[in-house]
Amino acid sequence: MKNLLARPIVRLLLAVVIAVVIIVAPISSSSFINYQLSLIAVFAVALLGLNIVMGYTGQVSLGQSAFLGLGAYIAAYGVRQEWPVVVIFLLCCIIPAAVGLLVALAAARLRGLALAMVTIALPIIGVPLAKRFPDFTGGSVGSTVSWLEAPEGSGLADDQFRYYLVVAIAVVLFILGRNLVRGRIGRAFAIVKSNEAVALSMGISPYRYKVLAFTIASLFGGASGFLYIAVVQYTSPETLSFATSINLVAAMVIGGSASILGTVLGAIYFVMLPVVAGQIDSSRTALISGAALLLVLFLLPGGLVSLPRRIAQLVRGGRGGSPRSRAAADRPPTGDTAPRTTAAPEAEKQPR
Amino acid sequence: MKNSLKPNKRVVGTIAVLGVLALTVTGCTRTATDGGAGAGTGADETAAPSPGITDTTLSLGISSPLSGPTAGPGSCSVAGLDSYLEAQNAAGGFEFGDGKTREVTLTYLDDTYDPAKTVSNFKQLVGDGIFAYVGALGTPTNAAIMPIANSEEVPQVLLVTGATAFSEDQKANPWTFGLLPTYYDEANTFGKLLADAGKPITVAVLSQNDDFGKDYVAGLTDAIEGSDVTIVDSATYEPTDTTLDSQVTQLAASKADVLMSAVSVTPLQVGVLTKAQSIGWLPRIFLPSNTSTPGTILEPGGATAYPAVYSTSLTKVPASPTFAEDEDVKAYNAAFAEYGSKIAAVYTPHCAWSYAEGAILGEAFKGMEEPTRDSFMTALKSIKDFQAPLLLDGITVDTTRDDQPAISGLTLVQASGPGYAPAKAY
Amino acid sequence: MSLLELEDVSASYGYAPVLHGISFGLEANRAEGILGANGAGKTTTLRAISGMVPATGRIRFDGVDILGKSPDRIARMGIAHVPEGRGTLGGLSVRDNLRIGAYQRKDRKQIDEHIEFCLDLFPNLRERISSNASALSGGEQQMLAVARAFMAQPRVILLDEASLGLAPSTAQRVYDAIRRLQTETGVAMVVVEQNASLAFSVVDHALVLETGRVSIEGPKESLMGMDEVRRAYLGG
Repeated sequence: MKNLLARPIVRLLLAVVIAVVIIVAPISSSSFINYQLSLIAVFAVALLGLNIVMGYTGQVSLGQSAFLGLGAYIAAYGVRQEWPVVVIFLLCCIIPAAVGLLVALAAARLRGLALAMVTIALPIIGVPLAKRFPDFTGGSVGSTVSWLEAPEGSGLADDQFRYYLVVAIAVVLFILGRNLVRGRIGRAFAIVKSNEAVALSMGISPYRYKVLAFTIASLFGGASGFLYIAVVQYTSPETLSFATSINLVAAMVIGGSASILGTVLGAIYFVMLPVVAGQIDSSRTALISGAALLLVLFLLPGGLVSLPRRIAQLVRGGRGGSPRSRAAADRPPTGDTAPRTTAAPEAEKQPR
Repeated sequence: MKNSLKPNKRVVGTIAVLGVLALTVTGCTRTATDGGAGAGTGADETAAPSPGITDTTLSLGISSPLSGPTAGPGSCSVAGLDSYLEAQNAAGGFEFGDGKTREVTLTYLDDTYDPAKTVSNFKQLVGDGIFAYVGALGTPTNAAIMPIANSEEVPQVLLVTGATAFSEDQKANPWTFGLLPTYYDEANTFGKLLADAGKPITVAVLSQNDDFGKDYVAGLTDAIEGSDVTIVDSATYEPTDTTLDSQVTQLAASKADVLMSAVSVTPLQVGVLTKAQSIGWLPRIFLPSNTSTPGTILEPGGATAYPAVYSTSLTKVPASPTFAEDEDVKAYNAAFAEYGSKIAAVYTPHCAWSYAEGAILGEAFKGMEEPTRDSFMTALKSIKDFQAPLLLDGITVDTTRDDQPAISGLTLVQASGPGYAPAKAY
Repeated sequence: MSLLELEDVSASYGYAPVLHGISFGLEANRAEGILGANGAGKTTTLRAISGMVPATGRIRFDGVDILGKSPDRIARMGIAHVPEGRGTLGGLSVRDNLRIGAYQRKDRKQIDEHIEFCLDLFPNLRERISSNASALSGGEQQMLAVARAFMAQPRVILLDEASLGLAPSTAQRVYDAIRRLQTETGVAMVVVEQNASLAFSVVDHALVLETGRVSIEGPKESLMGMDEVRRAYLGG
């Protein structure tokens, strides 16, 4: 299965089909479905940031919701001040990134639990802070905006217009993120994650790269806050609550740590699970969500992204090596070696 | 071997089929569910029915926190309402102003107090064709959907929240208003009791450090203006605090006669009651109605140590022996046992409030002459002097004011025995 | 002027002094051995050079003061430290480990040539090129660690106890390869080793540390002739 996916023609076709579905889906879907799809794009961006700092660089961050919330507040404030959309978007990226940088400069010297504690503090301080400045945030009641209506003559409904905007921005951010983690910086992240002493001996400063990863994560968090306001049109202290951070971390692990596709799957899980759980039984959503989380982690410790591999493994049974070595062979971070490892078994297949 | 196709062709084919399938599936939905905006056609002579209503049924929707920290009140905001509706359905249904009798159903969804989920749930409910969105609990969650409800002209009414924002300007937001008296009203009622005593009284105030807390303090300050009552010390807290011991210690130093403990988090409120008596400070206590339940606050807090504990109440407490023989309470208890208990496990006052809310809806249906949302809103906003079940004597419903929630009276109560009884003067 | 020069270098862990004024010089293209018992300060000397422990005195590399610079900076200047316990990236393949060694380099073609060179040098690695580093034997991991350090094209390699935990025959094979690496590429080395005979297969000059001080130093031949060296570090 994996070998087939590695073929350029199959990949291209798959990409075209996905692109067509992404473009066509909102035209025929209800406003509710478009809202869900847009939310998936919003949280995919937040998760991508989280995955960069946690999945790819191995630094625990439990504060991603604070940057999501900060971005959302900046966007809401900008809309009220009637700033141009582009300016708002840039500020939503720059300010959270700057805050993330400042925090990281202090926090990245810490490790493990100590770092986790510092990042926990962000949403915990953020919530009362947001309530304390009602002129900027709207206090506990939050801040409602009304913007990004579909332009006259576009023939689109508001929800469709917002969907296209949000998905387009998310796709661009994903391409940037993918290039980042597949490139030189991503390799440095992988080394820092794997062994800091080795990183040092390679001339890579773990501290600097941790700060960089955290800053990038904050930037993506802030950008997702902008998208959040574009879709939800409302923000309140609940948006940056600690629970959101924890759920984001869970979604990242469920989707697949250090994986771009896993990030998207995690976002789908994050948005759709409560909806599905609500369909099953509205008064047992927490129970159903918890059970689903345990189930996925139990059956797919590598996250949803490992599902095809896992199925292949079950189908093939014992033959084909230990799961561990296969997992490692699939790991992409060091560039052009991955196709080579997948090409070899494929070549063996040809004569058959 | 069985399959003559080569592997890559097979996969290409599968992908193509999947893609086409995905397109067809999504292709069916848009027109079916987006009829929600058709409500504005009430001007016609023969008004077309709004979504969610037929000659025999009417569907309502609600999104409240059913899991997470606010699950208790959230579940009750659904359970009480559902109990009333289902009991009435079982008794033959609701009578409407157009002469028809309809069964009223309630679809409820969990938003875990997360505004983004509330918006999602609201869109889902409207997409599924609810007639009106009623009785949802939570300030940020309701604030998030208020603009959508008003632009799509979907009623978002009888909200279970004490924030002023939903009711203060019903001209600007004609499709939205609240059910409950505001935090300001509640503190104002306390203040009047003190001012009416006509003697010098010192008060210490503990309030939440946000706009709710400010509403609360403002209600008290306005009521005691010009009287002999003075606020001698005040402190604030964050809902995320784990203990309020230091605030209580600080306030105790003032030796005030009265502590107004406007704490909205149950364990913290219990902590306040235990701490104050442990350091020998025994003022009269004022508790807000959402943290005054005997079983979860008074008993664990050892409230009997204090000379008096006041709160406000809207409704008869179903578990209280005082009301055991009350017809309303009996009906409520029977309905709740049959329908509500599977939604909410623990009683909070929200159960009783939302039960009364069901009756207010019933009253609105009676006045609804056309099967439209417009007609519903008109009927709902014309209710005056209605005595809803479970509401205490003297508290009535008046929906005709443009800047007030449906219920604005409050009764002062005083802890006595296992429950509350009407308060004596200070 | 020496390529690497230590002058009166002292270092301590907290309040416990470990090095008391070490001085030595390493010429380009040469290998210097540091012998001594456990706790004599051998590893600390290497860590002081690569900036991983704070030290006093003077350390110059190619005429530039490097004392006080951060470890990653010193690494980028051309000093590659192969730490005790190897520190390979277990989750990555042998090839990826080698590539990561060349992280700071941009000359793609040469990188591939150098990988080939390493695989010629350590034929065991060629056999296991796609294996996970964590699946390698101890000797193979040590070879990988040395090869990876070389991939950075450093001017000095600091080699810490490459024989640790290896069977004598394996250790000898590792050192044979290291000697070929040194002679064929001319990279300068500081070789820390308890087993003096292994060290002498690579170095032609060495110093002996005792409780943080240089007790003896000299060319290989003269050291091998000394009774105390032979007794303590050559096993007879």
